[in-house]
Amino acid sequence: MQNWRRNKFAFSVLFLPPAAWLVIFFTLPLAIVWVYSFGARGPLGEIILDWSAVSLGNYARSLEWINLEIVAKSIWIAVVATAICIGLGFPLAMGIAFASPRYRNILLLLVILPFWTNLLIRTYAWIAVLRERGHVNFALEWLHDTINGGLAVLGLPALLGAFEPLQLLYNQNAVIIGIVYVNLPFMVLPLYATLEKLDRSYLEASLDLGAGQWRTLFSVTVPLSLPGISTGVLLTFILALGSFLTPDLLGGPDSIMIGNLIAQQFGSARDWPFGAALSFLLMYATFIILWVKAMVAKREGGSAF
Amino acid sequence: MMNRIKAGRVTRRDFLVGAAAAGVAIGAHSRIARSAEEKKLNVYNWDTYIGETTLSTFTGSTGIEVQYDFYANNDELFAKLKAGNPGYDVIIPSDSYVADMISLDMLMAIDHGKIPNLKHIDSDPNFSNPPFNPGLKYGVPYLWGTIGIGYRKSKVENPDSWGLLLDSDKYSGRIALMADARSVMGLALKYLGFSMNSQNQAELDKARDLLIKQKVHIKTFAEDNGQDLLLSGECDIVMEWNGDIIHAAEEDDDVGYVVPKEGTQVWIDNVCIPVGAPHPENALLFLNHLLDPQVNAEIANTIKYATPNKAARELVSPEDLANPAIYPTPEVVARSESLVSVGEFTPAYDKAWTEVQAA
Amino acid sequence: MSISTATATPAPRLRRPRRDIGPLDYTKRAWMRLLLAVNFVFLYFPIVALIAFSFNDSKRNITWQGFTFKYYTQAFNNNALQDAFTNSLMIAAISTAVSTVLGTMLGVALHRYRFPAKDVVESWVHLPIVIPEICMGVAMLALFALIKFPLGLATVIVSHIAFSIPFVAVVVRARMAGFDLSLEEASRDLGANQWQTFWNVTFPYLIPGAVAGGLLALTLSLDDFVITFFTSGPGSTTFPIKIYSMVRFSVTPEVNAASTILIVLTLTLTVVAMAMQGRGGNKKI
Repeated sequence: MQNWRRNKFAFSVLFLPPAAWLVIFFTLPLAIVWVYSFGARGPLGEIILDWSAVSLGNYARSLEWINLEIVAKSIWIAVVATAICIGLGFPLAMGIAFASPRYRNILLLLVILPFWTNLLIRTYAWIAVLRERGHVNFALEWLHDTINGGLAVLGLPALLGAFEPLQLLYNQNAVIIGIVYVNLPFMVLPLYATLEKLDRSYLEASLDLGAGQWRTLFSVTVPLSLPGISTGVLLTFILALGSFLTPDLLGGPDSIMIGNLIAQQFGSARDWPFGAALSFLLMYATFIILWVKAMVAKREGGSAF
Repeated sequence: MMNRIKAGRVTRRDFLVGAAAAGVAIGAHSRIARSAEEKKLNVYNWDTYIGETTLSTFTGSTGIEVQYDFYANNDELFAKLKAGNPGYDVIIPSDSYVADMISLDMLMAIDHGKIPNLKHIDSDPNFSNPPFNPGLKYGVPYLWGTIGIGYRKSKVENPDSWGLLLDSDKYSGRIALMADARSVMGLALKYLGFSMNSQNQAELDKARDLLIKQKVHIKTFAEDNGQDLLLSGECDIVMEWNGDIIHAAEEDDDVGYVVPKEGTQVWIDNVCIPVGAPHPENALLFLNHLLDPQVNAEIANTIKYATPNKAARELVSPEDLANPAIYPTPEVVARSESLVSVGEFTPAYDKAWTEVQAA
Repeated sequence: MSISTATATPAPRLRRPRRDIGPLDYTKRAWMRLLLAVNFVFLYFPIVALIAFSFNDSKRNITWQGFTFKYYTQAFNNNALQDAFTNSLMIAAISTAVSTVLGTMLGVALHRYRFPAKDVVESWVHLPIVIPEICMGVAMLALFALIKFPLGLATVIVSHIAFSIPFVAVVVRARMAGFDLSLEEASRDLGANQWQTFWNVTFPYLIPGAVAGGLLALTLSLDDFVITFFTSGPGSTTFPIKIYSMVRFSVTPEVNAASTILIVLTLTLTVVAMAMQGRGGNKKI
């Protein structure tokens, strides 16, 4: 790593344009909303920013028990979804990274392709798959009837009773399936980017020195791909935490997540200051996690992300 | 507009200054163009919430090109216009939103002299002088309807009370409510015998407790797709907008719609011109066009909602007119309420709703 | 596109156990293929259902009623749908191009330079990923209202670029983490100037990261509803906005048809782009 002073010109050319874009079109607007977060909601949903109204009230309210409950549930769902994403995504990324170069791009494209359909449409497609009269239950019913029919042919009594469709929708599991589906590429892409550039001679060495495939996987491949894993976990977790459409459409009556709560403040509740405060608390929390991670990484001499 | 702000609504000055500034900027621009307004009109509405020929006949008779853009619900519309009108000429907000927008100076007063077709509006004060828009000063009624029970006739017999959805385990696991805080809380209040617009914390708590108790029997709070749940057989009894169930019933004879005995929420959508509209003259022409009996009847016949336009009703299909799901009887309307803004009490509703969802 | 890299050494052919599967040819192993199959079934089950039912002769996608093309005809005759479609593709193309370039620059800068308060800057760069979409949407709306910039395609594109840059930067940064800076030193020692070094050594190495990041940016842009909603004005309705607006009156199979067209179209464009880039890239490396 170079000190930027050694090459001020190159550093400026690389760093300033994207940084300026983010300052103007991200930090600046966010600063406006940050100011809102200290305001109060007027009776019609206006934002009151008088000195008399300015307070930390919205932040205090964010820490009310009911909101913390929602946060805790959201974190739990995000953790489970992220774990499943790793479980599915790591082998997927590995399969792509170790495929012959000819197939890599095609496989990569196949991972991305489903995400070029709109999120709402994809979620509706999941509804069609999971509902009582959905594709999964239709398939199970067919299987069920076939078995019963087969038994009947053999002159045996039907072992299985009448088919009861599985209740796959409108519960926490459906929400998790939906979130995993939506966020899988955010796990796979960084993992792939890391695995693909992995110096394979380390793996060769491990295998040559007698370690089995599993040991090589867990003692060499996984540690070497930690930067990709942590990027993927971070992206997936953060995005999962902010989900709101998925719990809205696939969840049951108690599937509210922090993203829904925030969306409601900017929507029907018309409480932009409270919505802003909730958003910023979520951001501060993530900021701290990122910062701690960077510190730890620095101490270990590795890369931060 | 600036004067009104200076006149003393200090508390929301900061918000309004931004809105006003944006409005004035766009307004100034349009004033120059006013003398010969360009032949354009930016309509902001739900998708498919208009007749098939409405826009083309308007362009045909006036030469004005219509740019038609979409929002998905009133809250989105409100949020989008809150910081200033980004350039829309015509919007279609529902009743209580009209009231709030008027209070926040977001709507332009319309010049009745430029809308001769206004005379076709039903003289029933619900339409000609609604509480949310007295004297139709800030907009004209577009279409109206109810919220009711959509149900599967073969599974549910004579659903005459909100209690079947809100206070019974008879259809446990086969029930869907809407995901709208004010409507669901409001109908729970109504079932308990209170007003949908109650501003009494004790009443609101009772409604909240009722919903929390009922949650084990509710499959989901449907995001405006209760009719799909009904059609796919996922639910047998749902709370929904009448139009959605009417469309579902067209495809499936086994689907019915009824307004329960306790009464319900009546809604009216309105055509309004937001402050800062770049083409206000064209917008007035468009309002007049929508009220033309022929045009209005075509809209009503296409999307199967009730029209408040008396002359147009002559041209609406008799079948629809006789359908109580589309045109509820006066008794039903008399038992029902419209949502009005509850002002300072709004946060109490949102808190109760959050508690219902989180419980 | 050439994803083969400078450092990836081909598997040595010294040891060749049973059959033709090298020790690192994981993808050729049965268990890996099974896992890939599971993943792809998960990814494609809903999509295939969605595409299949765009040909279903029923307004409700519950049971199969017979084959029809009518929803495609309807989609093609629906001007509003086409406008939304064109807007979406145009916005996605521009924002992907710009954000991939800017995000890659940022990723490289973060990887290679040490500068004051770098930890803070790194965290700051991640903020657009962290912030709830709706909050950013409202923030953009507030900004444009404040500077009185009229909403339209330009504001949508600008916002899409803003939220895509960090995603590209993060992926490129992760890719660059394994880059051996001594390769650059070697290049300079061999007489290449800074620009040549970057173009011939660093750039080819980061391409896969930039491509992965770019694909993410494209995906985000095509799919974004919330931020687009708040930054769009008259005439800049996108495909997602159009679809969300249909929910009040039920989403029709027309949308399935349009989604299928969108998949096919973006797929074709990407494959063509990859093929072209692959040809150009091979010469360079």
